[in-house]
Parts: sequence; C-alpha cells; structure tokens
Amino acid sequence: MTFSPRAASWLQATPFMLIMVFLVIVPLVIVFVASFMDYGFAEVIPVLYWGNYLDIFRSRLTWDLYATALRMLVIVWTVTLLLGFTIAYYLIFHVRSNFWRAIFLMACAIPFWTDGAIRMISWVPLLGREGLVNQALMGMGIIEQPISWLLYSEFSVVLVYINMLTLAMLGPIANSMGKIDYSIIQAARDQGAGEWQIITNIIIPLVRPGIAIGSIFILTAVMGDAFIVKMMSGNQVNTPAGAIMTEIAAFQYPPAAAKSVVMLVLVIGVVATILRVVDIKKELAR
Amino acid sequence: MSKIKDKKSSSGISRRDLLKGAAAAVGTAAGSGAITGFPTIWAQNIQNVTLNHVGSVYTTNPLVAEEANKQLGFTINMQTLDTTSQMNRLLAQPETIDIADMGNPSLKYFVGKDTLMPIPINEYKWWDKTLPLWVDGTYANGEQASRQGFAPILSAYYADETGLEWSETPTDWLVSIPLVTNADTFGIRPDLINRPIESWAELFNPEFSGRVALQDGVNVGVPDAAMALEAMGDVQYVNKGNMTIEEIDKTIDKLIEYKRAGQFRSFWTTFDQSVQLIASGEVVLQSMFSPAVTEVRTRGIPCIFQGLKEGYRGWAISAMPLRHVTQDPLKRDCVMEYLNWMNSGWYGAYISRTGYYTSVPDNAKPLMTENEWGYWYEGKASTDDIIDPYGKVMEKAGVVRDGGGIWDRMGNIAIWNTLMDEDRYLVRRWQDFIAA
Amino acid sequence: MRDAGMPRPASYYFLSFVFTLFVLFLYGPMICVYILSFQGPTGGMSFPMQGWSLHWFTVLFDGNGRGVGDIHNAFWRSMRMCAIMAVATMLIATAAGMSFRRRYPGSNFVFYSAIVSMILPGLFVGFGIALTFNIFGLKSDWWHSGLGAQLTWSLPFGLLIMFIVLGRFNPSYEEAATDLGANSRQRFLYIILPIILPGIIGITTAGFTSSYQEAARTSLNVGTGNTMPMELTALLGMATTPVMFAIGTLTTLFMFTLVIVTLVVVARIAKQRQLRLTRQSA
Repeated sequence: MTFSPRAASWLQATPFMLIMVFLVIVPLVIVFVASFMDYGFAEVIPVLYWGNYLDIFRSRLTWDLYATALRMLVIVWTVTLLLGFTIAYYLIFHVRSNFWRAIFLMACAIPFWTDGAIRMISWVPLLGREGLVNQALMGMGIIEQPISWLLYSEFSVVLVYINMLTLAMLGPIANSMGKIDYSIIQAARDQGAGEWQIITNIIIPLVRPGIAIGSIFILTAVMGDAFIVKMMSGNQVNTPAGAIMTEIAAFQYPPAAAKSVVMLVLVIGVVATILRVVDIKKELAR
Repeated sequence: MSKIKDKKSSSGISRRDLLKGAAAAVGTAAGSGAITGFPTIWAQNIQNVTLNHVGSVYTTNPLVAEEANKQLGFTINMQTLDTTSQMNRLLAQPETIDIADMGNPSLKYFVGKDTLMPIPINEYKWWDKTLPLWVDGTYANGEQASRQGFAPILSAYYADETGLEWSETPTDWLVSIPLVTNADTFGIRPDLINRPIESWAELFNPEFSGRVALQDGVNVGVPDAAMALEAMGDVQYVNKGNMTIEEIDKTIDKLIEYKRAGQFRSFWTTFDQSVQLIASGEVVLQSMFSPAVTEVRTRGIPCIFQGLKEGYRGWAISAMPLRHVTQDPLKRDCVMEYLNWMNSGWYGAYISRTGYYTSVPDNAKPLMTENEWGYWYEGKASTDDIIDPYGKVMEKAGVVRDGGGIWDRMGNIAIWNTLMDEDRYLVRRWQDFIAA
Repeated sequence: MRDAGMPRPASYYFLSFVFTLFVLFLYGPMICVYILSFQGPTGGMSFPMQGWSLHWFTVLFDGNGRGVGDIHNAFWRSMRMCAIMAVATMLIATAAGMSFRRRYPGSNFVFYSAIVSMILPGLFVGFGIALTFNIFGLKSDWWHSGLGAQLTWSLPFGLLIMFIVLGRFNPSYEEAATDLGANSRQRFLYIILPIILPGIIGITTAGFTSSYQEAARTSLNVGTGNTMPMELTALLGMATTPVMFAIGTLTTLFMFTLVIVTLVVVARIAKQRQLRLTRQSA
C-alpha cells in the first residue's frame, strides 16, 4: 500500500491529533465558554457575564500578578540561559569522551527522578533558618544571624525554578551544539580564532534554535506553575497561575477560566514571536 | 444459609436479619477491638458489593479500610483525596463515589444540587448518642453553642426528604453522619516564647515579627486571623464566621498591613508544613492541628496546643452518601450498614487515639482503656503511656492533655471553620492579600 | 575522541569548576533527602539528625506505619500506568514527529495544540477532561481518561524531543537509500529508525518519568485508586515522617538502575551498528 507523502503525514499525525483535540482542544473550548459565565457556590451559572474579564482588565491585581511573574521569569531565563549555555558548552566541546559526557548528563538528570512532592519538602531543611545553608554560612563566619529570606520568599521561588529548569535549557542547547559540524570550528581555529571569538561568532548563531526551544520550555514552565510558587513562598507570592489555582481550590471556575484564557493568549503570543525569530520548523521540513 | 462466613472475629459474630429490625449487639473485647454485631445484612450477594469511600486524609487510610473489610461482608474501597480533587470528582463524576466525607462547611456547595442522599433518622442507630453539638446545637451543659462560622447544627438536618434545604431545628432527615470533631487553637513553642500566651491577639504581637504563621486559605486562616484582629480591637465583627463586605475589606486591609510589616513567616497548606515550621523553630506561634502538635512533641520538642481566653476554633467532618446510591437497593443497604459501622465503636476509638473526638463517644468508650479515655476525653492525667494507633508512644504517664477534657474545649468554641456567604468576594480579596 | 592528545586550555579547568558547582547545586535538596532518610526513629523531617538508622526503610516496607498510607498499592498503580504511558507516548509522539518532515495543512495546528497543552495548568486540563467525560456520559477510569490526561502532558514533550532528534537527522542518508532502490518501509526500518533510536528511547524514558511525576491532570481522571504522586500529596496533608525521604532515596536508586540499563542497551546497539558497518565494508 503506498501513500502519497501528504497522506502519510496525516496518518502519522492522527493519533496525536485525536488526543490533542479531544483532551486539550475540547476542554479548552469549555474553559473559554466558562470564562464568560457567572458563578455561585461551586456552580457555574450559564448566563453571559462579563464580570470576570472586567475584573481582570480593570483591577490592580492583574498588574501585580503579571509584574511578579515577569520579574521572576526574566531572572530565571537569564540565569538558566547563562548556566545552561556554559554547561552545555563544557559538555559538548570540552568533555572529550562520550562515556563521561553521558555520565555527566545522567548525573544532571538523576535528581529529577524523585517525586516532586519529596523534592519540594526537602528545600526546607536546606534553606530554613536552621537549615544546612544557614548553618554553613554561620559556621564560616560570613553571617551572624540566620538569613530568613532564603526561604518563603521570592528568592526561594526563583532559586527552585533555576534548580529545576536549567536542565530544560541545557538540553536543547547541548543538542544544537552537537549538530554543529566540527570542521567549521577547526577551520576557525586554523585561521587563528580565539575561543571567545569562536563562541560568539560561530556557536551562538548556530545554536539559536536550541536557545529558542529552551526558552519556550522556561517560559511555559514558569508561567504555568502554581505549585512551586505557592510552596516555596509559603503562599506569600501571587502570580497569574497561582491566582488561578487559588480560584480553582475555591471552586470558582469562571474567573479562573478567564484568567487562564488571558494567560494563554499572552504566552502563545510570546511563543509565536520566538518562533518567528528562529524558525525551528525549517529544520524539519524537507 | 448465607455463604458469608464469620471473618476471623475472636468473640463470634452473631448475625441478625436487618429486615427484622433487630439492633446490633455491641460486644466488649477490651483492647482487641473486635466488635460483634456486624454484618447485620443477611444476603448472599452483598459479598459482591463494593463501596467507594472517598475522604480526607484524617478519616481514610488502609488501617481503617482493612478493619472495615474484615468486619463487614462487602468490600470497602477507600481512597484519600485532597479537598479540591474530591470536590471536583463529586461535582463532575458523582457516580464514581458512594460515600464521601468532608468538613461540614463544604456541604454548602451541595445545597440544592441533589447530589447527596438524605438519611432517614430512623436508619441511623446512633443519633441519640451523638454529641449535642449536632443534635440540637448545644454544649453538654445545655448552653447554646456558638453560631459564629459554620456551626454543625446549621447543616445537620434537611427540611424534608427532597434534601433541597436545611433546617436548623430537628427533623427526620439527616444531612450526614457526623464522624469527627475537634477544637483548634494556636500551637506554640513555650521554650522559645518564655511567657504565658493567653490571647489570639498575640498573633500580631511585634515581638513575634517574622515568626508566626497561619494556615493558608479562607476557610481556616481567615477565621484565625479574625479572632486575632478582634482580640486586638483592630476590627469589630457581627459574625466573624460570616463577614459582611465591609468587614472583609477591613480584615484584608489590616492583614496586608501586617504582611508588609513582615509579621508572617509563612502560610502553610499541609500538615507536614505546619509541623516543620514549628519544630524547626522558624515559627513560634501558628494555627495548628492537634495531631501536628503531638507530632512535634514526639520529636522531643516542646509544643503546646494553647487554650486561649477568647475560645477555640471548632471544626467537624462528617460522611454522606450520594443520591445515586438509592438506585440500587442492595447497595443502599450496604451504605447504611457502613455508616452505622463507622460510629459503632472501633472507628471511634481509632479516631480518639489520633487526638480527635468521635461524634459518638459512648460507643468508643468500651473499646478504650481507662487511661486512654481519661486522657483524651476527661482531661485527666495519663496513668500510663498513651499510644497512637500505629504503636508509637505519644505521651508518657502523668501528662494532662492541653486544654483539658472534651467539654473544656468543645464547650468553648468561639468560631467554627467556615464558608461565608460572601466567599466569592473574600477569595477575590484574599488574592490581593497574597499579591501584596 | 575529539582533540585526543591535545593539551587542555585554561578554560577547561574553569568550566569544570563551574560544572562541579552546578552539580552540587542540583543535588543540594537531594542530599538532604538522602541523609535524612537515614534519620533515627525519633527524628523528624529536618535537621538535626537524631541518630542514624534504617528504621524508616523498614517502616516503608512494612506498610503499616503512620505516614505510609496506601503507598504500596499506589506505587504499583503508578508503575503500571508509567509503563503503558511510556510505550504509548513513544509510539504516538514518534509518529507525529515523523509527520512533520513534510509541510502539510494542519501541521501548525498540531504544533500549537502541543504548546497549548504544555502550558495549560494541569488542574484545568484535568478538570476540563473530567467535565468532558461527564458530558458524554463516560465514567473515568485509569486506563482511558487517566491515561489520556497524562498523555496530554507527555506527548508535547515527546514531540519536542522528536523535533530535536529529527533536526539532527541528515537527509542524505535517506536519499542515498532511495537511490539504491529502497522503498519507504525499508527506508524507515533500516535508515531512519536506527538513527532516531536514542531519541525514541529518550521519549520512552521521558514518558515514563513524566507520568510518574504527574499529579494534577491524573488525580481528576484516574477513577478510584491513587497513583504515587497523588498518594504522597494526600499524605503530606496529614502526617509525614522520614518515610517520604526513604521513598525518595529508593526511587532514585531505582531510576538510576533503570537509566544505567538503558544506556547499556543503547551502547550495545551503537556498537552492533559499528560492527555491522565495519563488517560490511570489510
């Protein structure tokens, strides 16, 4: 049985499509519709109600929520980019044996195989006033009193994001670096280029797709997260996702739906922009 | 004869035909926990019945499930879920749950929805022995219990069998089977505070800046905060448990002030977090649950569940069957059987040993030792080790329970856990608070 | 090996140092978990250590202690789901990734729906799916709605991995095969598949681990019976003991072994391919 190439593509994509349509698109439509409804006690009242959106666009809260999220996002993105790039560069261009490269990569991934719940609670003995970090700092004489903002603050949220998401940036960048034809690097070296010149003139431009994919991961992870921000800040920092979660927990679905729609539009907008700057799909089509 | 055999019970089960309406006999087997009289349903096919019980983490666990399955002829499938997931299941897929247990404020979500099954009072055996807080809303001494917040009496009875409205006066239709209740207050570290704590107002004492915590959320955290604000004289309330919009605004604005001043260390969501916070000394005073206090103590760290002069915050959990159960008469019988079993004694004793009060203490009493009963219910000093249901030693001899006996605590409720009429507005302002 | 024999530049030592710091940073909380899992019987969830013991490991296997809940059953349920998830993710994501090798109408839709699925808060997707099932009158159970809900999370990641893997793929191999007369099935089996095999294995592993971790979407759709993350979340609400840390240490060991095995298998495949190539050219 032969298929035209297009039909083959369609067939291959069908299972994926079915799942996406029924389990993502349809619920999304429901969410969209619900955002225009009124609500009572754990019930959605099916009348057209603009109140949810009015509240979003008129109130100071929305501004505060997005400002906080954006602030954290920029910090996390910058740090993970720098760290991810550096480590990826090290692993791909400095580590010479494949064996050790694999080991190092695995070493980076192992912490993620423990349950999220357990990893969350383990930050407390590390960052608390009586925690390991404070004890180490006091033991070394750097501080006199334990630092309290290590935990239950924006700092701890950002720290945990960096800890958990650097790998998400490192992976795609490392992959892009791996694709670079080594002879180009050698040619540059033969021409007398220094290491820094090679990085800025050859490597960075060539790994743009990896940076783009990594950035998308970071963006969606930070904007979509409600658990980490609530847990690590002791429920003292609010972001759009956190606000949605608070409302879901109070069974107030329509305002949560409205906030979700707004957030989705914004994030998709940013993702689309990233993809315009770097076309990763060009890599795939023949 | 029925194929159902006596299941490993030591003192022999006598089976009575439920249809004949005979009551179950309560056996005595001090310490061993074996109860006679169950199952009382005599039918060959109840072996194939499976009931899905979804509940809170305080009321469901494998130990209880094992005992229930041992003593009843049918299968109980217990699942522990957090409140949000449980509510979502109940609202979106009620037919996957046969019995749900939850804190009574959550019942407000079900008014008029026809999800729950009203329970005919004559089918529940223990109503007369239930704590008066539910039966007529009074304390043991006959005084009317506090109505601030969501008092149990407000959702104890249905007006009629349609189950669409509640009734504050006794009727023949029960909303739910009460399971557990307790009175909460602040947990404190006496060794880090070094002076007596007597009032809820201490929450905002600048002496403890950065070292206090509340439970996150509007159903518990806000009532605690309201108690403190009222005690400080910052805000006046008509009903702290059901605030008006102005009261909510004043409360939240005051809280934002204190938050910005750095008064709060954290807002905990889970039991473990509350234990961690105070055991590590990060926090010296916070809203807490009774077993959390005990947990801290078992680690050798002093912690007191401090009774305060303004009173306690009360709460209650009860179990309710779902409406769809009535479509299958056999299942319905099994459900009633199970509900009756829950308060017939073994479960009540188990609950008591974890530090909560069962709604029918008289049934639990024969299954507890004199030492246990004295410690947990009467406020007497323990005469021997107090052991939890898993065998761990919670207290040694000679200790008096914080706050005293059951009516020292349950008789001094200033406010109940709550779900306010203005919940929607409150949640919206709570968002402002978190973002501040 | 690249540059074998050449002296190391100074940047190498600097970067190695950075890498070491980074690994320490990654492991910070995990080290606490590993250490605290050996906590003494009276100890709690934070320092100081009250003696050293294997007590909490025994409690875990005993299955009856406070703080254990129904972990045993939850664990096996999780394992079962994860295995199925891994296979399903692999098949579906690979097929979908392959489809992107050509431009076709609707490809944007597929791509963007994957992105959307990743960023929608898990709780919302979970609730949306539960509600949808309810409207269509279907009961939720782990093997359809539970699985489906988890797939919405793992498939986008699988797809992105496929993008990355296929991005590396040099089409000239395929063209050479076509020139030699291979049909599409042969092309796939003998050229494409071996090259993307590491990617496929990666997707499978990712499917497995992401299913294991996923809580929000699953909890609403799995029917009765908790999975591990659900059980742990529920437990955190009641009583916690260092049993949780013991679980953490053990799952790490388990996953570690799993990945070592995977790597060995991949290395074997690579070596066999090498052997085959050298044999053929001999």
